[in-house]
Amino acid sequence: MGKKGFKLILGVLFTVIFIYSSVVFAEQGDKDNGKKIYEKKCWWCHGEKGEGNGPAAEFLNPPPRDFTLGVYKYKSSPPGQVARDEDIFRIISDGMPGTMLGTAMPAWKDVLSEKDRWDLVAYVKSMTDLFQTEKASGEISLGSAVSSSEESINKGKEAFKKAKCFECHGENGKGDAIKKLKDDWGFRVWPRNLTKPWTFRAGSEPKDIFTRVSVGIPGTPMPAFADPKSETKLTDEERWHVVNYVKSIADDTKKLKEGEIVVKAKYVEGNLSEDVHAPEWNNAPPTAYQLVPQIIAKERFFKPTIDGVTVRALFNDKEIAFLLEWDDRTKSVPGDADAEKLSEGEVFEDAIAIQLPTSIPEAMQKPYFGHGDKEMGVNQWYWSSGSTSGAQTVKVIDSTGLGSGKARDTAKTDVKGKGEYKAGVWRVILKRSLTTANAKDELQFEAGKFIPIGVASWDGSNGEKGSKHTMTTWYWVLLEPKAGSKVYTYPAAAIIVLVVGQLWFARGMRKEYEK
Amino acid sequence: MKKLIQAVILILVFYLILKVGIPALGSFLHHGTWPVVPTALMRIYMFFVVAGVLLYLTFNEESAKELGKPIKEIYGSPEKGGLRMIVIAIIALFGGYVTYQNVKPSFEAPIELRSIHPAPPSSVEMWGKTYNLMTLTNPFRADKANYEKNAKEGGIVFFKNCFYCHGDKLDGKGHYYSGVSPLPANFVDVGTIAQLQESFLFWRIGTGGPGLPKEGAPWRSAMPIWQHFLSEEEIWKVILFLYDYTGHSPRTF
Ligand code: HEC
Ligand code: HEC
Ligand code: HEC
Repeated sequence: MGKKGFKLILGVLFTVIFIYSSVVFAEQGDKDNGKKIYEKKCWWCHGEKGEGNGPAAEFLNPPPRDFTLGVYKYKSSPPGQVARDEDIFRIISDGMPGTMLGTAMPAWKDVLSEKDRWDLVAYVKSMTDLFQTEKASGEISLGSAVSSSEESINKGKEAFKKAKCFECHGENGKGDAIKKLKDDWGFRVWPRNLTKPWTFRAGSEPKDIFTRVSVGIPGTPMPAFADPKSETKLTDEERWHVVNYVKSIADDTKKLKEGEIVVKAKYVEGNLSEDVHAPEWNNAPPTAYQLVPQIIAKERFFKPTIDGVTVRALFNDKEIAFLLEWDDRTKSVPGDADAEKLSEGEVFEDAIAIQLPTSIPEAMQKPYFGHGDKEMGVNQWYWSSGSTSGAQTVKVIDSTGLGSGKARDTAKTDVKGKGEYKAGVWRVILKRSLTTANAKDELQFEAGKFIPIGVASWDGSNGEKGSKHTMTTWYWVLLEPKAGSKVYTYPAAAIIVLVVGQLWFARGMRKEYEK
Repeated sequence: MKKLIQAVILILVFYLILKVGIPALGSFLHHGTWPVVPTALMRIYMFFVVAGVLLYLTFNEESAKELGKPIKEIYGSPEKGGLRMIVIAIIALFGGYVTYQNVKPSFEAPIELRSIHPAPPSSVEMWGKTYNLMTLTNPFRADKANYEKNAKEGGIVFFKNCFYCHGDKLDGKGHYYSGVSPLPANFVDVGTIAQLQESFLFWRIGTGGPGLPKEGAPWRSAMPIWQHFLSEEEIWKVILFLYDYTGHSPRTF
C-alpha cells in the first residue's frame, strides 16, 4: 500500500470518528456535566430549576425560556411534534441573532466546546418528562425551493393575504398588529417586524423563514402553515413564495451600518418642505441609530418596543430640517379606544426628541449625553403626537443636567414640527432656522462642522413617559460644506507645481550628470 | 537602485500593517469587528514611517548617495528622456490625487481619543462617606469561608444590573452594548479588570461615567452611577463575582 492510500484511510477513519463522536454526544449527552455548566452559565436567566425565573428574568423581553414545559419555540420538526435535539443545540450554539431589541440569549459556541453544548441539550431536556415519551420524526420536508423572482414575490404577496399574515404582521409587515397577543406563558408578544429580517430570532436565510412559516413558533400565536389541520394551510410552493415576499420587503434604511454615525445634511436650493413625503428627502442619505432603553438613571426601564430611528437632514441658506423615521407598532393616541385596546396600561403620547449642545464644541469636551451638565448645556427639540383632544405639539427644552430641564416659552423658539403615522411607521419633521438671536444658549448651525446629536423616543402604548424612554448616546450631524471651486483648483495647482518643480529639478540634475 | 526599492518596500510594508494588520488583529481579538485606523491618525503614522525609513536608509553619506543615485539617473541621464516624462507625470498626478482627497468634503466622524484607565483620585466620597482608595480593600476577599456564597450573590447583582451592557458572558456584549459609545468594558479581556486593583473598580462602579476625570471623557460614557442603586456591600460582591467568573485575579500592588 502506497503512502497515498494510507493517508486516504487515515482521512476516512478520522471522518468516521468525528461523525460518530458527534452522534454519540447527540444521543447520550452527559447531563451531569450539563448540569455543572448550567449552574455556572445559564441559571442566572433560566432559573435554578429551569423555570425561566432566574434573577435576570424580570429585565428581559421576551423572558428566558421555561424548560420545564418542554416547549421550544425555534424547532424544525413537523407541526405538533417536540423539538429535535439539533434545534436545541443550534440555539445554544448560535444564540438568537438580532440582539437589537431582542433576546439576550447569547451564542455559546465561542466559550463552550461542542461536547459541553450537547451535554447541555441533554440536561435541559431532562427538566421535563416530555422527551421520555416523545421524539421528533425528523426535519420537515422543504419541498423544492423556489428562487426569488418578481412573479414569485407577487404570488407570495397573494399568499400573505390568503393566509392572513397581515392580521398579525400588518399590511406592510411592520408588525403593527390589530390585536393584543399573548404567548402560552401569559406574556405579551409582538408579531415580528418582517421588514427587519436581521431581528429574526432563528435566522433570516430563506430556509430559516420557510421552516418558521411551516412549523410556526410553538407557544406563541405564530401559526404552523404546513399543519394539515389548519384553515390557512399553505402548500410547500406557496410557502416558498411567501418566503420570497418576506425577503423582498426588508427595509435596509433601518439597518445599522457599522461606523456610519454621521447624519449628512444635504444642501438644497429654495424652500424646505414640511411634507414628510417630499421628493427632496430621497436625496438625503439615511443614517440609522440604535435606540436603547433608558437604563442609566432613575427611573430606569427595561422593556422597550422601539429599537431604532433613521435620521435624514436637509438645509438651505436659512433653515435646517430633520426627518426622523421609526417603526412603531402602535399609534398612541390618549383617549382613543382602539389605542387603549392595544396598550400596556395607560396610553401616553408617542414622542421623539433630538438633543444638541448649546454651542458647537471647539474641543473634545461635550455636554453629558444625558441632558447636559453644569459646564455645558443642551437644547432638546421635543415633538409629541397629540391626543384625541389636543393637536401635535413641539417644545424646546433647555437643560444643564438631569432633572433641570425647562421648556422654553413658545414665543422664544422657532422650532416647528409635524408628524405623520402610517402603516406602522412614524415620520416626523423638526425644523429650525440655522441661526437665532439667542446665540448664548442655543446652537447656531454652521456648515462643515461636526455637531453632536442625540435622539430619544417614547412609545406611549408601552408605558413610556418622562424618564422611561429609549435613547442614543452622542452621534454627529454634519451640514455638508459647499464644495466650492477649491475641489478642482487645488489639485490642478498641485499638478502644475509638481510638473514645473520636477522639470526644474531635472534641469539641475542634467547639469550635474554632464559634469 | 537597491536602496530605493528597499525604501519603497519598507514603507509599503508599514502601510499594509496599519491598513490591514491592525484591523485584522482587532478582528482576531474581538470577533466580528474590523477596527480601521482613522484617516487622520493614519496620516500622522505614515509621516513618521516615511521620515523614519528615510533616516534609516541615509544614516551615512554613502548610503545617502546610493539612495540618491537612481533618482539622479532618472532625472539627469540624457538616455532616459521617456522614462523621465512618465515619472514626472505619475508624481504630478499622484500629488493632484492626494490634494483632491484632502480638499473634498469629508464625512468621516472625528476621532475621539479617551483614556480608558485614567489615574484614580486618592480618595472618593460615596453615600456621604469618604473612602481612601490607596488603602481600600475588598472586605469579602478575606472571608474565605463564605467565598462561594458571596460570589454568587455578586452574580445576582450582575445579572440584575450589569449584563444588558457588559454581557451575559461578561464579554462586553450585552443585548444593548452596540447602542452606547464608548462600548461597555469587556471583563474577559486581559486589558480590563485583570490589570486593575479592586479599589479602582470600586471607584469606577460607584461613580460611573460621570465620575471619570476629563481625560476619560465622562460626558460620553453610559456607565451608570451605581451608588445611586447599589449598597457598598453589593458593589464589593459584584467585584468578587467579576473576578470569580472570568478567572482573573485583581492587581494587588
Ligand atoms: C442573559 C440571559 C440568558 C442566559 C445567560 C442564557 N439564556 Fe437561554 N434564553 C434566554 C432568553 C431571553 C431566551 C428566549 C428568547 C426568545 O424567546 O426569543 C432563551 C432561550 C433559550 C432556549 C430556547 C430556544 C427555543 O427554541 O425555544 C434554550 C435551549 C436556551 N436558552 C439555552 C440556554 C443555555 C443552555 C444557556 C447556558 C449555556 C443559556 N440559555 C443561557 C436568555 C438567556
Ligand atoms: C396569529 C398571529 C400571526 C399570524 C397569522 C402570523 N404570524 Fe408570524 N409571528 C407572530 C408572532 C406573535 C411572532 C413572534 C413570536 C415571538 O417572538 O415569540 C411571529 C414571528 C414570525 C416570524 C419571525 C421568525 C423568527 O425567526 O424570528 C416570521 C418570519 C413570521 N412570523 C412570518 C409570518 C408569515 C409569513 C405569516 C403568514 C404566512 C405569519 N407570520 C402569520 C404571529 C403571527
Ligand atoms: C448602560 C450600560 C452599562 C451598564 C448597565 C453597566 N455598565 Fe459598566 N460600563 C459601561 C461602559 C459604556 C463602560 C466603558 C466606559 C467607561 O469606562 O466608563 C463601562 C465600564 C465599566 C468598568 C470599568 C472597566 C475598566 O476597564 O476600567 C467597570 C468596572 C464596570 N463598567 C462595571 C460595571 C458593573 C459592576 C455594572 C453593574 C452593577 C455595570 N458596569 C453596568 C456601561 C455600562
